[in-house]
Amino acid sequence: MEAHLRLATANYPVISFGTGSNVRLPGPSISQPNVYAFNRTSYDSMYKELYVKDEHLYRANGVLELLDRNRGIKWGPERWQDWSIGLPRLTQTNDKGSVGTEGGTVDVVFTCEERCWDAVIEDLHQRGGKLNKPVHVINVGIIDNAKEALAGGSAILDLANCFQKALEEEEEKFGSGSQARDGFDDRVPEIIGEWEERWPALPVSWTLAWF
Amino acid sequence: MAAPVALSIDEQITQLDDARRLVLSDPNYYPRIIQGILPIINREARVELKRWAADFLAEGFASPQLPSQQKEALGLIVLDTLKSLLENPHEDIVVLESVVQTAATIYPLVLKWIINNPYDGPTWERMLAVKSRILRIWDTAATGVRICCIKFAQQVVLAQTTGPDPEPRRDGSEMSLSLVPENHPLIAPRNLEAEGSGLLDRILGIFQESTINTVLVNATLNSLSLLVRARPRIANKILNVILNFNPLKLANSPMTPKLRVMVKSMEKTTRSLLIHINKRDPQNPLSGRIQQYVERMMRSRTEIFDEANKKRGHPEYIDGMDPAKRQKLGGQAVTAAANRLHVPPLAPGPHTVGELFTITTDDALKKFDVAQLSEDLVVKIGITILQRLDSDILNQAIDGIRYRYKSLESTQPGEFSFATLPLSVDDDEDEYEPDFFNAEDTEQILNKLDTEQPEEPDIPATDMTLGKFTLPLPPPLTPEQAIRIGQDTITRVFGVMQTLDEPGKKTKAGMNRLAASTYDRDAWITIITRLATRAAAGLEEPPAIIKQEVDAGSSLSLANNIRESLYVYVLEDFRKRIDIAVAWLCEEWYNDRVQAKYETDPVLHYDKWVLKVLNGILPYLDARDKVLTRFLSEIPALSAEVLERVKGLCRDPSMVNLALTSLLYLVMMRPPVREIALDAVEDVWATFLLTTSFTDEDAKPMAAKYLTKWRPGFADRIKAAGDDEMKTNGSAAAA
Repeated sequence: MEAHLRLATANYPVISFGTGSNVRLPGPSISQPNVYAFNRTSYDSMYKELYVKDEHLYRANGVLELLDRNRGIKWGPERWQDWSIGLPRLTQTNDKGSVGTEGGTVDVVFTCEERCWDAVIEDLHQRGGKLNKPVHVINVGIIDNAKEALAGGSAILDLANCFQKALEEEEEKFGSGSQARDGFDDRVPEIIGEWEERWPALPVSWTLAWF
Repeated sequence: MAAPVALSIDEQITQLDDARRLVLSDPNYYPRIIQGILPIINREARVELKRWAADFLAEGFASPQLPSQQKEALGLIVLDTLKSLLENPHEDIVVLESVVQTAATIYPLVLKWIINNPYDGPTWERMLAVKSRILRIWDTAATGVRICCIKFAQQVVLAQTTGPDPEPRRDGSEMSLSLVPENHPLIAPRNLEAEGSGLLDRILGIFQESTINTVLVNATLNSLSLLVRARPRIANKILNVILNFNPLKLANSPMTPKLRVMVKSMEKTTRSLLIHINKRDPQNPLSGRIQQYVERMMRSRTEIFDEANKKRGHPEYIDGMDPAKRQKLGGQAVTAAANRLHVPPLAPGPHTVGELFTITTDDALKKFDVAQLSEDLVVKIGITILQRLDSDILNQAIDGIRYRYKSLESTQPGEFSFATLPLSVDDDEDEYEPDFFNAEDTEQILNKLDTEQPEEPDIPATDMTLGKFTLPLPPPLTPEQAIRIGQDTITRVFGVMQTLDEPGKKTKAGMNRLAASTYDRDAWITIITRLATRAAAGLEEPPAIIKQEVDAGSSLSLANNIRESLYVYVLEDFRKRIDIAVAWLCEEWYNDRVQAKYETDPVLHYDKWVLKVLNGILPYLDARDKVLTRFLSEIPALSAEVLERVKGLCRDPSMVNLALTSLLYLVMMRPPVREIALDAVEDVWATFLLTTSFTDEDAKPMAAKYLTKWRPGFADRIKAAGDDEMKTNGSAAAA
């Protein structure tokens, strides 16, 4: 969600998803997490529920702060596997980064954990690429804590900016009449390689998959 | 929709965006909007407009909101536009990408349309032009376009290959080769299949190219999962090519950041695809190889990248390391302090692979089983050691092992092949050998051998090999034994038929049914009757059989035994089993005809058995039985002799009506036997109706009616006879 916020703030169209079976938030002990259903529970209702349950606890462990931030970003958590790719998204206008996602697809998918990347790729194999639309799927391994999330958000934004720059350069090449155009996709490995030099602590995986 | 010229590009795009918003909220507008934008995307249009429109088309056809019938109809409209954009040699990449994506979505839809509308040649011509243009630019266009060409080719392969049996019917939008009718005037299934197969080869060709384009490789790998899953007939071919592909091949060149991203990406993509395939279908025949491949890739990846990435080293394992662990690590397991390494030569005689690589002289160490350690740990230890090891020592160890290997090889030629060791996978797949070894240096090979070592000691050495063992042939059966066993089998089949009696409702099998494929009672009857009638004919040359049949009855007796059993089986309950009798006699008749073709004097069975069955049935018939009529009308041939038996029935006055009905039915329904049937009726008339005094009053006028109709002279004769009759039996009325 940090990455969602950063990308949306930079005016990129963004949709965000989870890949687990349910939304799990820390509870009073490690064996008692708060579990919510994807797609049906709003961040606001989670916030209110936990606020009533134990304001002190959830403020102390940062959950309320997290939910407060998230309810400002979008209505509620969505699950990747339930996403009908290409289904228009016209009603999510209150979500940050919704402008530009009306068509219900994206060009790049960022994941923040290796197992999420695996889940996304497995899911795309499962769907079988029926839309014939190429999509770059990139994992930036971020440790799940507030500090790392901030750094990770910056790293992802940096990568997105590099992609955007390359894309614009390639699109303009046509206008200049240049024939030496390899296109954006060919430059992706190099862009990621250069980015990796700047962010050596973050492991990265990338592939070109199909929606 | 065409925007006025006065509008700036930005204003036009804004307008178009509004139109897009409209179709997103209501897909019913798609046809109107698509038709509206087609005129503005001619070749000369501004590139911004063309990009927008091409993107819009790709999005629209991919949209899950638009029903596939509607996509099919719209697909026909846009083909011309796609064709003209594709054929522009200076077309913008972004436009081309969207156009090829659109074409990939449309292709199966158009193919479906053509199947149902075989007259629409012009549309198919346009589609062919689009296809051939895409296949032509596939190799030369920009990478972004090429990946879309790969996806297009994948869609063509998918549409032009048959699916699994039986094909799953999901939403009706699925296209596969089995939907194409054999005699379609525009698209011959055989040609489509050949083209699909050729395109698949071209798609897979990328894995054998010398220069590797990572983006294309990834795009290909990620488009193959559906083909492997939904097209089982080509799955093995695809998997074999992937399993022979080494995504780490590039790792030998100096590692630049870009190269590292590329190698890691291809390795991970390959692995994800294979894991997905094994997860979806754990029973697939290649799952073992896939598992091995995945494990090997993970090991090699760790070796290559953790070695390059020094910050991830684990020096702590060195310090606490049990010296025993070093021993099993083979040639490299020596400390840097020793600058002279002695590799003791092997004693003569057979050795295990483990012994070949063991260079310590300490017997206690030799007994340590490195398989007890976790794989992670072994890998980490191995890497750490490799990082610290003096290359001179390593070379000495390698030379020592090489010397051992050579001496072993010279004493045991052919017993143990180094070349097959690391790739000890399915040997039957060896028609393609990748240049796997050239791609790796000695060190990598050694590493691999090292990590595989725990499995190796199990490989049997020479002393374990067994001699050739052939099962002795069983003693030959005597003819009597063979017949008895045959008879037992027949009895069993009849037993099965008894349990399967009373077939439930009959399903219509349609034109393509295959006899005896359902394992119900009917299937067994087919088998048993054919066994009786054709078995002897099928085993030897037809003329020989006939002679044999005449000379020695032994080979025949099995067939005759079956006939006897069938006869008994039918008679046990002939009312219910009359269909079996008919089926069997049809087979007999057919076989007689076939025999007659090959032999001038064949042994015929049909007539004999018809009579036998009929004789068996007749005594038990009831006056109201319809079974006789049915039997007579269904058996394939009737002879005068058969009708003679029917006539004989009339000796019982109560059966006259039944016999007559059956005969008259034949007169009406079987013209070929009409004459002999009429003869029989006339006979009945003369023999029984005129002489016997019997009670059934309907029979006489019925017979007279038919005879009058079919036998011209009969009316006169009956008149003459009628006068006499009137005297004795006042009620008869001539027709």
